Amino acid sequence: MTFARINAMLLEGFGTSCQLFLLTLVLSLPLGLIIMFGSTCKFTPLRWLTRTFVWIIRGTPLMLQLFVVFYVPGMLFHMHLFPSGPEGRFAAALTAFVINYACYFSEIYRGGFGSITRGQYEAAQVLGMTRWETFRHVILMQVVKRLLPPMSNEIITLVKDTSLARTIMVAEIFFINETEILTKGIVWPLFYIGVFFLIFVGALTLLFNYLEKKLSYYKV
Amino acid sequence: MKKIVSLLLAALMVATMCFGLASCNTPEAGGETGDWAKIQERGYFYCGITLYAPMNYYNEEDVLVGFDTEFAQAVAEELGVEAKFVTITWGSKYLELNSGAIDFIWNGYTFGDESDGTPRSNYVDFTYAYLNNSQCIVTASNKLATLNTKEAFAGLRGAAEGGSAGEAVAKDLAGESGTYTPVAAQTNALMELKAGTIDFAVIDVLMAEAMVGQGDFTDLAINNAYTPEPEVYAIGCRKGSDMTAKINEAILKLVENGKLAEIAAKYELSDALIQNIGEN
Repeated sequence: MTFARINAMLLEGFGTSCQLFLLTLVLSLPLGLIIMFGSTCKFTPLRWLTRTFVWIIRGTPLMLQLFVVFYVPGMLFHMHLFPSGPEGRFAAALTAFVINYACYFSEIYRGGFGSITRGQYEAAQVLGMTRWETFRHVILMQVVKRLLPPMSNEIITLVKDTSLARTIMVAEIFFINETEILTKGIVWPLFYIGVFFLIFVGALTLLFNYLEKKLSYYKV
Repeated sequence: MKKIVSLLLAALMVATMCFGLASCNTPEAGGETGDWAKIQERGYFYCGITLYAPMNYYNEEDVLVGFDTEFAQAVAEELGVEAKFVTITWGSKYLELNSGAIDFIWNGYTFGDESDGTPRSNYVDFTYAYLNNSQCIVTASNKLATLNTKEAFAGLRGAAEGGSAGEAVAKDLAGESGTYTPVAAQTNALMELKAGTIDFAVIDVLMAEAMVGQGDFTDLAINNAYTPEPEVYAIGCRKGSDMTAKINEAILKLVENGKLAEIAAKYELSDALIQNIGEN
């Protein structure tokens, strides 16, 4: 196989990986917020339920969740939640990824909001600020600043976790490499794939560094 | 007290959810027996494959070709639907089939037993057998002289596709003192061999003839020190599916009009093609 051919195949696979990454990120960030509201809710049963859910999702391997989402409904109930074919597999992988990552994000959010001392809310109240004003002008940016490092950590992990989608035969970069290239005894693409990921994560790192700098308002 | 009440409430909520899920999961009318109706409605069926010559592989023009590819397409044409293919890990084939993610195991699938001795007919319904095959041993070509008896393989490192017909042979050859590694697809076994991480691979002879000793695998060779029992290929359908009869019907038509023989000739498999298909 020629370099151009292998390159095209890998790029296609990496495209799938990137799509999975971006869609997971876009969908799980807000879902994480909703889950956080559940796990900090004053209504105890809902709080317990949400925390049990988070425990289950964080406590079981993502690989297992992929299997459960894609194969189990069909096997046990003859229910086909996802259409057959590549699109259905991708949708199943996306579902598992979004649920999994939303649970992790919800805990990061919870930590962020929990880190704001009560005194600040009280001070804002004394100054006559409404709840929305307090949130918007006092709390939000502090939380965002504190969330950034753990979030960037999780997001970089997500980039590399996309390769788990191969468990249910989603044609991401590693699946393509293994089924179509590595099996022909061609080894160099492995290193080449490493470069793809390095560049992608490198760009993300620069982005997060830039954002952190923007938010470092304590530094004079 | 408050805690206990809330715990109870939470448990109740979980229970209701589970019940709700369970009650909406009544299998659709017909279940597996309605496969043909579903495929007709969709307009296509999915075959689970692994990529290797001469059954299913990409040619230089990047088109999926191969005996099983064209065979499935011909059957689909007979049935008035389209054949689609999805690359799977061979070890997941029953999971894929039973969950409905694929409709057929159609990839040089041996009519026989799993390596643990369970007949494969416990898992699938077989169509008529169509090709003769046997497992064969592949080693590095410079080891042909030393690995020339069945006993010479004892204590070595062998590999075969996990869940394949070659698994039992590889385990048997390596013996107690050797090791056996199941790999994801037959081509992975060749890759392992090329990388030197195993000493011998057990794969389908039809595949070995098409791939070993040429292209990327010039330094490998078929080792005739031991020839396992002959076997046949058939298509695996979901257990109880009405597709088995439908496919059989289409196969007989393709035999009659000479289409199957034509495809076999194209891939140099005329000798392997079973004569009088459907009569045994």
